[in-house]
Amino acid sequence: MALAEALTAKWFWYSILCVLCWGGWTLFGKLGSANIPAETMQFLFPFGCLPVVLVFLIRSRCKLEKSAKGIFCGISMGVLAGIGGLALFAAYRTGGSTPVITAATAAYPMITVILAMFLLRERLNWRQWAGLGFAAISFVIFSL
Amino acid sequence: MHILPWFWPAAIVLITWGVVGLLQKVSTNYLSAESALIWTVVGYFVLLPWLLPSVSIFSYSHRSLAWAILSALLNAVGAWALLAAMESGGKASIVVPLTALYPLVMVLASPLILHESISLLQGVGVLSALIAVVLLSTETASEA
Repeated sequence: MALAEALTAKWFWYSILCVLCWGGWTLFGKLGSANIPAETMQFLFPFGCLPVVLVFLIRSRCKLEKSAKGIFCGISMGVLAGIGGLALFAAYRTGGSTPVITAATAAYPMITVILAMFLLRERLNWRQWAGLGFAAISFVIFSL
Repeated sequence: MHILPWFWPAAIVLITWGVVGLLQKVSTNYLSAESALIWTVVGYFVLLPWLLPSVSIFSYSHRSLAWAILSALLNAVGAWALLAAMESGGKASIVVPLTALYPLVMVLASPLILHESISLLQGVGVLSALIAVVLLSTETASEA
């Protein structure tokens, strides 16, 4: 019942589109970084994002929230995500196994939940503790 | 102990994107998801002066440049699809872990497109990392 419902739900197919797009992002990122230095890959990155940003701006009629804290958070996210993107392209250029690098770097929620635990005083549920355990196992394996 | 060349770049990805995950949590107090994405791209542009290419970007093959731009575009479309999934009634507790499976695309596509295969042990590591990502992403369950 639940599966049949999910297969006919819009959100499910948007989620699949997201998975395919982000899969494509890493795949094409790897292909591009084979010939283009990591810095230049990240230099080009925001220009590739512009069409989607323009759609959002048009949809919102350029009316964005004016919260200084929010803007600071947003720009900080971009700077940090950009540094991370640069490092991802650099990792791809080392010639290491692409699926392994992609899976290892996708485990970043591990850092988020640890930071949330200490800084936001959030409590981890059992799934998150189990997730941290699996992340630790994967890193031990990748380091062998 | 032998440290793989991709280890340190991957560690930077984990830390920076992990902090981004935390900022995403905080930013939702002040910004809509669309605004957060727009300001994030502004943050990407803030980094550009430090990433200026030393040679003309047109010295790279058109194909490599297309892959670089396509990679960024897919990243942004994926972010839009994630938001669209949420707006279409998808619960964050299901959509977020589901979309976190994007490295699976790379695992499946790598042998076909990149002609890279992974060892059994690396496969166990990738599987463990994927399970970790899904479990760690369930943090939104109580917020959904």
